[in-house]
Amino acid sequence: MRMRDLFRSTPLRLAGTFALAMVLLTGGVFSFVYVATTDAWIVQLQTVFADEAEKAAASDEERLRRSLSLRLTRDFRRLNFVALYDSSGALVFGNLDRRPDIPIDGRTHYVDDFRPAEGVTPEPTLLVARARPNGGIIVLGRSLDEVVTLRRILARALSFAILPLAACALGVGFFFARRTAGRIREIDRAIASIMQGDLRARLPTASGIEELDGVIASVNLMLDEIERLLGQLASVGDNIAHDLRTPVVNVRAGLEQALAAAPKGDSLRPAVQSALRQLDRAMNTIAALLRISSIENERRHSAFRDMDLAALCAELHEFFLPLAQAKGIAMSLAPTTPVHKIGDTDLMREAIANLIDNALKFTPRGGAVHVAAMLKNGLACVEVNDNGRGVPAAEAHDIFRRFVRGSKAGGEPGGGIGLSITATIARLHGMNLTVADNAPGARFTMAERFVKAPIRQE
Amino acid sequence: MNDDKPVYVCEDESELAKAIESELLGRYSVVLSETGAEAMVAARAGRARLLVMDRMLKGADGLALVEELRASGDRTPVLMISAMGGVDDRVAGLRAGGDDYLVKPFAMVEFSARVDALARRLSDAQTTALAAGPLTMNLISRKVRRNGREIDLLPREFKLLEYFMRRPGQLVTRQMLLEDVWEYHFNVQSNVVDVHIRNLRVKLDAPDEKKLIVNLRGEGFVLDADA
Repeated sequence: MRMRDLFRSTPLRLAGTFALAMVLLTGGVFSFVYVATTDAWIVQLQTVFADEAEKAAASDEERLRRSLSLRLTRDFRRLNFVALYDSSGALVFGNLDRRPDIPIDGRTHYVDDFRPAEGVTPEPTLLVARARPNGGIIVLGRSLDEVVTLRRILARALSFAILPLAACALGVGFFFARRTAGRIREIDRAIASIMQGDLRARLPTASGIEELDGVIASVNLMLDEIERLLGQLASVGDNIAHDLRTPVVNVRAGLEQALAAAPKGDSLRPAVQSALRQLDRAMNTIAALLRISSIENERRHSAFRDMDLAALCAELHEFFLPLAQAKGIAMSLAPTTPVHKIGDTDLMREAIANLIDNALKFTPRGGAVHVAAMLKNGLACVEVNDNGRGVPAAEAHDIFRRFVRGSKAGGEPGGGIGLSITATIARLHGMNLTVADNAPGARFTMAERFVKAPIRQE
Repeated sequence: MNDDKPVYVCEDESELAKAIESELLGRYSVVLSETGAEAMVAARAGRARLLVMDRMLKGADGLALVEELRASGDRTPVLMISAMGGVDDRVAGLRAGGDDYLVKPFAMVEFSARVDALARRLSDAQTTALAAGPLTMNLISRKVRRNGREIDLLPREFKLLEYFMRRPGQLVTRQMLLEDVWEYHFNVQSNVVDVHIRNLRVKLDAPDEKKLIVNLRGEGFVLDADA
């Protein structure tokens, strides 16, 4: 399948949506963890610091210095800052030469780029400054370097994880979406073939979606019932045709004898002759009805052989050419390269003959009829075009039904019978008979529905 | 010679059997045989000129009867008539040994043309030349002459004329031509067969000559051998 179709396909869109959702969700979770862990830490530190500063400011000089020096001694990573300044602002004790530029209010302040000394990389730091009872100032600080590192690790983890995750989500999403879409396509295909008249087709069960399976089972039951009813209807029709046949044959024989026995000039002769003509039409119709139902009911594929549609077209072109010439119609045949199809040669010949016969019938003197067999997208197809009266769009569907005749057909006898036989034969061969506007005229196309194996979408 | 041998009609629908009988009477003697049994006996004894055999008889299978007959080596011509006009039915009927197969409903004209064709069938064995009236046809060199004038025919026209020349003076219906010359077993609505005949006629008949192939209105064509 082409790239454009791929991007338009439902499975890919679904998979993309799924992957995007996964990425957003994971990103969200990461962000939450990121914010929650680091912020919570900072808030905790802030509270602790303010508290420490308050207590430290209040405690006596001796103990304060001892605990502060203990804090510094343990701090190999130099994350802690402590400083005592006297009332003149000079450093009395600690590791901060210069008093940081923060208000002396005993509240913890966040400084984004604190430099504890010259030539040191600035880093985010929490600082608290508080006045002491002796007029001096105590400053406590804590570098947030760890938080920054943690944040960096989290961010890196996210960026490393997100790509494989997205790919995985895309893959999994694509797999499931494709499977579902594939099943729905199968169902769609089955419905299409039912709509094309193959009432024996059923929707595939076990779609893998429980709710859908229920619906499918119901639809299949419904189809069983429809098929049964149609079968009853058809057999009623067949029985009528069968029962009509014998009396019609007998009446016809009686009339023929009467005609043969009647003296020339007998006043009843024209009436008998007209009755015979009408009976012939009735017999043709009965024969065609029975023919259609025998083609439909037999569905014998055992007689199917490899045949060449192009050769059939060429043969029938030769057969009908004298008629076309006599009617002053230019009949042409497409250059023949073999178009192979499995089928019943006799039936297929009949189907094509009906199409050509029909085209010649409805094309006026001076018109043109073109016959072609070809492969279209790998599907065998027979086309008969004319530039005659054409088929009005409103009648395009009806003309394949049994014995419907186009309103433009006028008095032409037998129109309709041939086409409905052709449609039946086409159906038996997995082909569709369609009519389109040839502007002007009609284009009848008998085309295969699918190649032997259904086309796969991927 | 054997013209007095009767035609045996094995048909269990009595009205159709009667219609067939009255159609054939005058030209043939007819014996009706509802179950086919008498017909089989007569055929085996060489007393039947032709059998008309319905494929499905009351209590008997026409197809099996014909098969049996052929298996015993009998060559009596058989015209199968059947309501079964299905795709393979005709093939089955001919394979069983029927010489012709006519699907009901049929016109009596069609029926009697088939009977005539079978009853008067020439023994076509090893014939190399045909003659009818002014026409001669050499089946080997594929040359056709009318009163010595050579007539150039296309292969299909040759086959068409050959069919007529094998049945001089007999009614040949359009359906017979379709089935036997083209081997098309379906109805063609238009008069395409007539056009083929017309084209053949143009080649056969010089402007001042008599028409050899005559149209019988609504029934078919006859090669007029007395022309």
